Amino acid sequence: MKSGGITSLDWGRIRFFLGEVLRSFTRNAGMQITAIGTVAVTIVMLGVFLYVRAAFIRVGSEVFNQIEISAYADPSATAGDENSIRTALAKDPRILSVSFVPKRVGLAQLRQRMKGQIDTSLLTENPLPDKFRVRVRDAQEVPAVAQSVARIPHIQNVEYGRQVVQRLLQLAAVMRRVGIAVIVLFLLVAGIIISNTIRLTVFARRREISIMQLVGATNMYIRMPFICEGLLAGVAGAAIAVGALAVARASLLPKIALALPWLQVNTVAVDLSSLVLELFAVGAAVGVIASWIAVGRYLRT
Amino acid sequence: MSLVYPNGVRALDNVSLEIGKGEFIFLVGHSGTGKSSLLRLLYREMAPTNGHIIVDGIRVDRLARRRIPALRRHLGVVFQDYKLLTDKTVWENVAFALQVTGAHTRDVQRQVPRALDLVGLAHKSRMYPNELSGGEQQRTAIARALVNNPKLLLCDEPSGNLDPANTTEIMELLRRINLKGTTVVVATHNQAVVDRMRRRVVRLDNGRVITDEERGYYFLGLGQDQILSG
Repeated sequence: MKSGGITSLDWGRIRFFLGEVLRSFTRNAGMQITAIGTVAVTIVMLGVFLYVRAAFIRVGSEVFNQIEISAYADPSATAGDENSIRTALAKDPRILSVSFVPKRVGLAQLRQRMKGQIDTSLLTENPLPDKFRVRVRDAQEVPAVAQSVARIPHIQNVEYGRQVVQRLLQLAAVMRRVGIAVIVLFLLVAGIIISNTIRLTVFARRREISIMQLVGATNMYIRMPFICEGLLAGVAGAAIAVGALAVARASLLPKIALALPWLQVNTVAVDLSSLVLELFAVGAAVGVIASWIAVGRYLRT
Repeated sequence: MSLVYPNGVRALDNVSLEIGKGEFIFLVGHSGTGKSSLLRLLYREMAPTNGHIIVDGIRVDRLARRRIPALRRHLGVVFQDYKLLTDKTVWENVAFALQVTGAHTRDVQRQVPRALDLVGLAHKSRMYPNELSGGEQQRTAIARALVNNPKLLLCDEPSGNLDPANTTEIMELLRRINLKGTTVVVATHNQAVVDRMRRRVVRLDNGRVITDEERGYYFLGLGQDQILSG
């Protein structure tokens, strides 16, 4: 007799399969709870980490967006010279926008800022140069753009928060590297624990597996219940972790906002739905891969 | 064909054997003379160190790993220790062989009762192995081996754990199965069984075939008259 076709839906077959998965899952309930717990803890840490990282990137990009280059025109520059500066700036694709601050407006702004501190009425002449405020599309390009702006004729001086930009860029790079390392480490730990759990259930069912092999079940078929088991453990762990994170976020965020007002946590919008999705995907993937390895080792011997 | 274990033991040494379709054949010899090893080669639990093994036209010694399941669906194997699942009923144990090979429920419903009828256990299908006698457990194992309608049934000491009455019952069952056209290979060192059945006897010693007789006895050269007078 050939194996039955898979063309039609066979409820008896599906029920048998699900029953096998459930039996195996409940038989090792104690160990499964340990595995799920570890996955949950791991994913909580991962979730906190990803959240903080996302928040940092968000804050960081806001800071970056505020960075602008101030380019000061030569005091002797004519209106025509300034027009050619403007066209030169407009040609650079890296530049997002340019606003022109004539020295008259610059002085008014200075007077406004210094009001009550310095008696600006003593100024009989305007000592300020005309200024172009340049915003750049990508914060990483700021140093390069500043250099090329400085080379435009009749630009006397260029200023930008050089140190702030460089520090932020460095910090972002470090965050990215540390982040990848931490995530890999977390996943490895969770994977090893699930893998060990599955290996225990494989061991508990070795008699069944040997009979399956004897009567001609394919390795894929033998593997499937264990894969489902790993998937279940991973997803359950992720679900617990996401729940815990949601509770923590709701209760802790207002306190953090009070303690560290400069962080502006309340205004930082992290994309929560994609974060949750990521955590579930990680849980599922870890469960599947770990159990695949655990069973694979057994089937080869 | 030869088989050398990784530890250097020569389990089978230049064995050459042909088993015809529908035959009933005993493999006899002391423990450790290679009877079980020979069976294991046939269902590809192991591969020979050198030589050919052909089962139903298939080069088993060259079989790719992924084709092994297909081979095993076409033959049944029975062991001394039954290898039943204690947490499943008789019916479930027999059905298991079909279910884990992806059989359709319709086929399971049709084949399992047929196999249980054949071994005479239809009335005990809801019982668990622990509630059965040794002979009944072995009959359950035979039903599981036959539920796929194999052409070849391999038995490794099927009566090893059974008393004489149950042994007789099992051998009678194997004889009936053979009469229906299934090739049956029985490895045993049960003298009474072999002498009563009077079938082809292949005698192994130290991994070699030393005799191969039609209608043989357990002991070499032991004729009918000697049994009667002894």
